[in-house]
Amino acid sequence: MLYSTFYLGDTQMAVPIPCILEIGRSFKFHPVRGAPEVIDGIINLRGKVVTIVNLGLAFEEIKIEPSDESRILIFKNNSELNEVADSDTVMETAPDNIGIHVDRISDVIRVESEELQAVPSNMVHPFYKHVVRRGDSFIIILEPSKILNLHETPDHLS
Amino acid sequence: MSEAKNIKFNIYNPIITYEHRAAYDMIVSHLQEIFPICNQGKCKALEVSDDPQKQKQINDLMEKVEFFSNSLITITKVFFDQLYRAKQTSSQSISQSTAMIKIDMIERNLLERTCDVRWWALEKAFWQCITLSNNSKSNGKAKSSTNSNNKALKEAVELACTRLEDIRNSYTLYRDLVIADTNGVIIANSNSDRRSEVIGMNVADEEWFKKALETKDGTEYFVQDVSDSKLEDMDALIYSTALRSNGDEQGDVIGAMGVLFDFQGESQIILNDYLPKDQNDQTLEGWFSFFTNKEGKVICSSDETFISSGEITDLPRNHRNLTKAGEAIVSTGSVCGNRSLIVSHKSKGFDEYKGLEWTSHLVLPESAMFERSDTNENFGISPQELMNSKLIPEKNQQTYREIQRNKGDIQLISINGIILATDLGKAGTSFIPIFDQITTTGNSTTGKMEELLSEMSSDMLEQNLKALENFSKQAVDLIDRNLFERAADVRWWSTDHAFWEALQEGSEENFEQAAKRLGIINASYTMYRDLVIADSNGRIVANSKSENRDKLKRMNVSEQSWFRQGMQISRSVQFGVQDVCDSELENEETSLIYCGGVLEEGQREGKVLGVLGIFFDWENLVFPILEGCLPRIKGEVVEGGAAFYVNDEHKVIATTDSENFKIGQVVKLPSENLNLDAGESASGIFTANEKKYIIGSSKTQGYREYQGLGWTAHVVRPID
Repeated sequence: MLYSTFYLGDTQMAVPIPCILEIGRSFKFHPVRGAPEVIDGIINLRGKVVTIVNLGLAFEEIKIEPSDESRILIFKNNSELNEVADSDTVMETAPDNIGIHVDRISDVIRVESEELQAVPSNMVHPFYKHVVRRGDSFIIILEPSKILNLHETPDHLS
Repeated sequence: MSEAKNIKFNIYNPIITYEHRAAYDMIVSHLQEIFPICNQGKCKALEVSDDPQKQKQINDLMEKVEFFSNSLITITKVFFDQLYRAKQTSSQSISQSTAMIKIDMIERNLLERTCDVRWWALEKAFWQCITLSNNSKSNGKAKSSTNSNNKALKEAVELACTRLEDIRNSYTLYRDLVIADTNGVIIANSNSDRRSEVIGMNVADEEWFKKALETKDGTEYFVQDVSDSKLEDMDALIYSTALRSNGDEQGDVIGAMGVLFDFQGESQIILNDYLPKDQNDQTLEGWFSFFTNKEGKVICSSDETFISSGEITDLPRNHRNLTKAGEAIVSTGSVCGNRSLIVSHKSKGFDEYKGLEWTSHLVLPESAMFERSDTNENFGISPQELMNSKLIPEKNQQTYREIQRNKGDIQLISINGIILATDLGKAGTSFIPIFDQITTTGNSTTGKMEELLSEMSSDMLEQNLKALENFSKQAVDLIDRNLFERAADVRWWSTDHAFWEALQEGSEENFEQAAKRLGIINASYTMYRDLVIADSNGRIVANSKSENRDKLKRMNVSEQSWFRQGMQISRSVQFGVQDVCDSELENEETSLIYCGGVLEEGQREGKVLGVLGIFFDWENLVFPILEGCLPRIKGEVVEGGAAFYVNDEHKVIATTDSENFKIGQVVKLPSENLNLDAGESASGIFTANEKKYIIGSSKTQGYREYQGLGWTAHVVRPID
């Protein structure tokens, strides 16, 4: 399967391509009063309302500020994901379109299923699904549904 | 990009290097390949999906790719244009300042010569000798000349020759010094090798002589521009003034003094400086440096075979006819068969000295502006950091950002294309190689451009470092040359009859006379704060400034370095110097004190009677030198730029920035810049006061007999 990779600080992460609806450069965030701090705001994507999660804050790290390199990965909602042709893998995102704000994007990589390794026990995190080795470095495969379903995310997000 | 309209870049221009031509071809051909790929994508969209929305999305993506490819082709041209212009501008600016440094260096030297000749003409041995000679001639006409008169004249001529030799020994910049009577007959000279030819020669028809007789008083002098003189086989630059009765500045004219400056020798040093050399220390082909006089004739050249003295060069007319003082012109043209960059800088004189309206020319191969040096040291600065530094002009940074943005856009389009293709399921897989290709091409072209940008930024760094090195070399050369003059001054003045007579006789009247003499010297030369004579016990017995007299008379200097050095001197060609320090002799000032031994009977070698100390007006004279060596852009000093000298303990002894590089401070600099050998230069990057600076440093190599004091000049500019 193809994965879109991106960075949070120096850590390279990836999500499956079929889950993504679109990747965008800069959107105007509309702030939402009363929303959790991890939410950058909402955006209007061709008539769709999309909530943007700041991945830096979601990991309780430094907030990602919009820059020339920062990008928004917008995920398909569950029903859009189900419509995707030839989807032979069971995947889940969220009932609504949600995006994540990342530091910068990188290459698209093809990962065979046998390359997916379990997350080592000393670095378990609710958002981590697998780890993939590429040369000397590792890429963390995220579980989109965990990031995107805010009610299931750690306590501080609620 | 509006700038695209002004592009002068042409891939067929011979100045474009082979590597750049290849890179340009590679970028443009790769970008051109994207268009058929996009067409292929548009066709495939119709094949793989019936959904008009999906087809439109793919078409839109392909069009976007085409748009960015076109835009990258334009940026490539703009970029190459900027790359070459940036190198050209930077090279031209360095060449222009080099041409200026050279003319400035010679003018400062010539200014000193104007002081010298006026002062020497007051020497007792000269006017006494001419007076005796004139008397002997008038007596001769009256046919009552006596043997004793002849003997006295002979002795006076010998003494005059000795004193002229003493001057030449102290100031090694002269080939000869002569004195002539009012008829133009040479009576005495300094160069013993030429004495038999020169003495008795009649120079009445030479301009320097005629004009010297026309000077109104002792403050006037004449200079005969480089030309023929029967005094020498080669062209001479002669300074002259009148000798006056009793050495009185207002006295009657009794003869003339002419001093023949070693113009060719001095100019050769200056002209050959700053020219790049090969391993055998030979100047590289196509590099020339020469001076022309106001008629446009070459008066000295770094390469007499190709550009010979006495000839009008084949420079473009506008380089030959500079009229305004300080005017400069830079252009390209053919010189000695080479396509060259030609820089001409007309003298602006120095202070009130107008100079001889000479022009300094620097010629270098046009291709040299764009050559890369073999040493690509990065000084620990990343290309990114360099690209965003102040060294890179804003418009080049804009291009960099635009390339980055385009790179980002192409990447985004490719990934979105892959997302779209994935959504099409199996049918969409045929798109993936297309988007992969787009990503690869986008990455390789923008990557190549980033490489070139990084090349440009490292070239800019290198050129800026070179410029700072040149400025630091200029700073150290100027101070060395200036201090050489001080060393020459103190050696010559120490031999003055008023001083040894005073120390030998020890009477108040003699001390008064010595003080008066010191006062005259100080009034003629503006670079001293005071001049003092100390007897062998370290007691100050005379000084030039009456207002300091009471304070100094109570002072004993026997423990001071300059005095102790002076008391060790036994030959008139020796001198001593006390490095810059606080001295109790002067209030709240740092002093630089030169000393000479006053020897018995004014002999060249003998017992030391006391010491002459001369206090250089350090702060006032050194500051303009440093200020003149600050890095500039279009004539304006670069913000935060600074120049300072450090002594051999690395302590700052003079500075243009007393806030960041304080007097007495030891600035933490890279070791390459600190531990230089004599005459060596280096450049580098360092951090001070939370700022990143680039730095050029040069260590003194002395000048002629002046060995230097181990000082180093540093010139810095912040880059972030």
